[in-house]
Amino acid sequence: MTKIDHRSLLAARMAKDFSQGRRSLLGAGAAAGALGLAGIGVGSAALVSDAHAQGQPVKRGGTIRLGWIDALDTLDPHYTSSLGSIKVINNVFNGLLKVTWDGKKVGFEPDLAEKWDAISDRVHVFRLRKGVKFHNGDPLNAEAVKWSVERVRDPANKSQHGYHYEDLSSVDVVDELTVRFTFSKPYAFLPVALTGSTGRAGTIVCRSAIEKLGRDYGRSPVGTGPFKFVSWRENDSIVLERNPDYFEKDLPYLDRVEIRLIREPSSGVAALLGGQVDGLSLVPFQFVPELRKSPNIALYGQVEGNYSYVGMNNRKGPFMDANLRRAVAFAIDRDVIVKQGYFGEAIPAFTPISPPMAPFYDPNIAKTTRGHRLDLKKAMEFRKKAADQGEVAPVYIVAEGFTGSGGSGTRISQLLAPMLAKIGVKPKVELSDRAAWLKRRNTGDFDMFDEAWIADLDPHETITPEWSTGRQWNFVGYSNPEFDKLVGEASDTLDTKRRVVLYNRAVDVLLDDAPLAMLAHMKVFKAFTKRVRGFQYVPVDLLNLHTVSLG
Amino acid sequence: MPNRFLAQVGQTALVLFFVSVASFVFLKLAPGDPVSLMLGSDYNKDSYDRLFTELGLDRPWMVQYTTWLGNFVTGDWGRSFVSNEDIFRLAVMQALPVTLCLAAYAMVLALLVGIPAGVLSALKRDTWMDLCATGVAVFGNAFPSFYLGIVLIWVFGVGLGWFPTLGFVAPWEDPLEGLWYLTLPAITLAAWYIGLIARVTRASLLDVLGHSYILAARARGEGATRVVWVHAMRNVLMPLTTTLGLQLGGMLRGAVMTEVVFALPGLGMMITAATLNREYTVVQAGVMLSGLLFVLVNLMVDQLYTWLDPRLRRLA
Repeated sequence: MTKIDHRSLLAARMAKDFSQGRRSLLGAGAAAGALGLAGIGVGSAALVSDAHAQGQPVKRGGTIRLGWIDALDTLDPHYTSSLGSIKVINNVFNGLLKVTWDGKKVGFEPDLAEKWDAISDRVHVFRLRKGVKFHNGDPLNAEAVKWSVERVRDPANKSQHGYHYEDLSSVDVVDELTVRFTFSKPYAFLPVALTGSTGRAGTIVCRSAIEKLGRDYGRSPVGTGPFKFVSWRENDSIVLERNPDYFEKDLPYLDRVEIRLIREPSSGVAALLGGQVDGLSLVPFQFVPELRKSPNIALYGQVEGNYSYVGMNNRKGPFMDANLRRAVAFAIDRDVIVKQGYFGEAIPAFTPISPPMAPFYDPNIAKTTRGHRLDLKKAMEFRKKAADQGEVAPVYIVAEGFTGSGGSGTRISQLLAPMLAKIGVKPKVELSDRAAWLKRRNTGDFDMFDEAWIADLDPHETITPEWSTGRQWNFVGYSNPEFDKLVGEASDTLDTKRRVVLYNRAVDVLLDDAPLAMLAHMKVFKAFTKRVRGFQYVPVDLLNLHTVSLG
Repeated sequence: MPNRFLAQVGQTALVLFFVSVASFVFLKLAPGDPVSLMLGSDYNKDSYDRLFTELGLDRPWMVQYTTWLGNFVTGDWGRSFVSNEDIFRLAVMQALPVTLCLAAYAMVLALLVGIPAGVLSALKRDTWMDLCATGVAVFGNAFPSFYLGIVLIWVFGVGLGWFPTLGFVAPWEDPLEGLWYLTLPAITLAAWYIGLIARVTRASLLDVLGHSYILAARARGEGATRVVWVHAMRNVLMPLTTTLGLQLGGMLRGAVMTEVVFALPGLGMMITAATLNREYTVVQAGVMLSGLLFVLVNLMVDQLYTWLDPRLRRLA
């Protein structure tokens, strides 16, 4: 199959671990159920952006210069784990479906697929758009889709996104433009898995280019998207240019995209305010107030599909004691975390389910008794039940520096210390660089840490691989068969109402065991100068440029 | 003369050899294991062993070192794990010219500002001008370059809009544009040296001005300007060269911070990125290149002495 060798795969994954996050898959949310059994027709009509809709004539051409603050690993969609990379990839590649946002909820629309027919709850047939070509001229056909899906799915290729196709029995070419997916059981997450956007597993890559370039494909990608890859200068810049044969008629508007790779966030913000770049891929919380004040800057940012949390080691140390973990969960004042940790650009998290996961999120959760919240009385009760009644000093590992939308450096640990002191827990903070921190987290060498899972839209990706027994992101070693069973069942269920019930129960089990203490759901910001028109915000940390023009 | 030159080349080779051994040994002693770091959360015994062997880490240290040294000397610096880019190309063709331009510009600025400031404060000793010049020197010396860079960006880039705040334009392609882009970074890097040069110049000049040959020159009726800039400065140049020679290596250290703040794709940025990514081969190449630069600068300073001081020429 591919000529990518073992070592390059390791290298690609290595890169992932040193970028800020990991995956950023997008959840199906509302659409999972809604689309599950229905055929979706040709859509994508109502995708006109604000500025364009207001009747201003769209100016074609021009070069947009963007400051990229977040780190990149590879531009091979099947191996990236960096949101910084995915934002670029999304302008070069397409999936069978794409994620859209109407201002209230996330949707899934056809992208390379023109039509989706669910023959049964396990068999799905996709009709592809006619005449789509890769940037090197290769045709996008059923064969290409099959090859691409099998590339992700083949365990030998070690794609970290392969798990999305665990239950896929076969992909078959029906005819030139028709492809059939057969699953061994119903798969509620399918719409998300098929997006090229944050799904990655669904991004369609170019076989001949991969066979020719091998591992260099990740440094000079060939896709079907609105922009063609031109160059990537290490530590300096990435350049894309307009794909004149892009399948969405008349798009994109821009001729060229210049991405400046910037390591120091404050330099990026200065460059934006000084007019040296037209936009930023990400805005750290501390700069948001400054940018809000500037009349020339448009900020895009909402509470996205994410949650930050304190992870507590279930395998060793003081937090093997569930009562101590529960005490921590109820001793945290989330309003303080939101105000001081995130400069007010977040909301308290009661559970891991965030607002964009529409049907699963309960907007009235604050009025219920579910989830984690500040309740010192309760915290003290749990503390009294804990085996160790003396002062506990857990090792709290902290990574230095800003790490994209998830990491907030030492801030959270500083805010937590006085809160936890009230219940006789005095964390010993150990600060290290990100790489060393990752190693400690991955090998379970900690008592506690704080982090965030970001850019998710479905419970299937926001709690399942993180807290199921033995899964690779379950760093705290949490294990509860009841939780495993509930999330497993929810994954095989297509009925949204039933999924809501199952996930609610799973979340309740999880939060009662408290391997994590919830913190917040955060906003994720992009910023542009007012010269930039037509940006379509999607709350999964995407920066799609196909509808963007320069005024 | 040829003997002296050969001796210096020999010394240089020896120093570089020790630098290479040290950088290799430090990498080996550094906590953490490149392989498990590379594997990250996808760690398992099989892939670990395989990569370990593939990188040649199962061989004895001596074999690893000599292989690496052999490759390095012949210009085969290997490829980056992450980008698969040729490290020689990345470090020498791409990053090095950026850092050299930055350092040269900063040095010129530092000399152009530092020496006059030092002379001024020595001549106007204990006046408000001395106070100002010394103040500027202390300020430049004390301000961390990282912070100074950001302040300059906000004042001259964002506030006044006089200078671009990030990126690199090759001066050999477009000299004016190139210098314009490099000005703020060069000031940032030069600030510390301006302080240093001004202080050394002031102290040395005060010392020299007390010597009898200066008095003699004055007695001969030579103009004040000539006494200071021709007679006195010659003797100031010696301690200045020594101090600068010792501190020039630090330019590279300052360049790391400056390049990160101004997003310049130079050696400092390369080493920073590689360290954060745990790209050991790239870091090693960067360290060796810095070592080489350091030694070359010192060689040049040695040559400069002979040129500045006729007595050394006679000795040779």
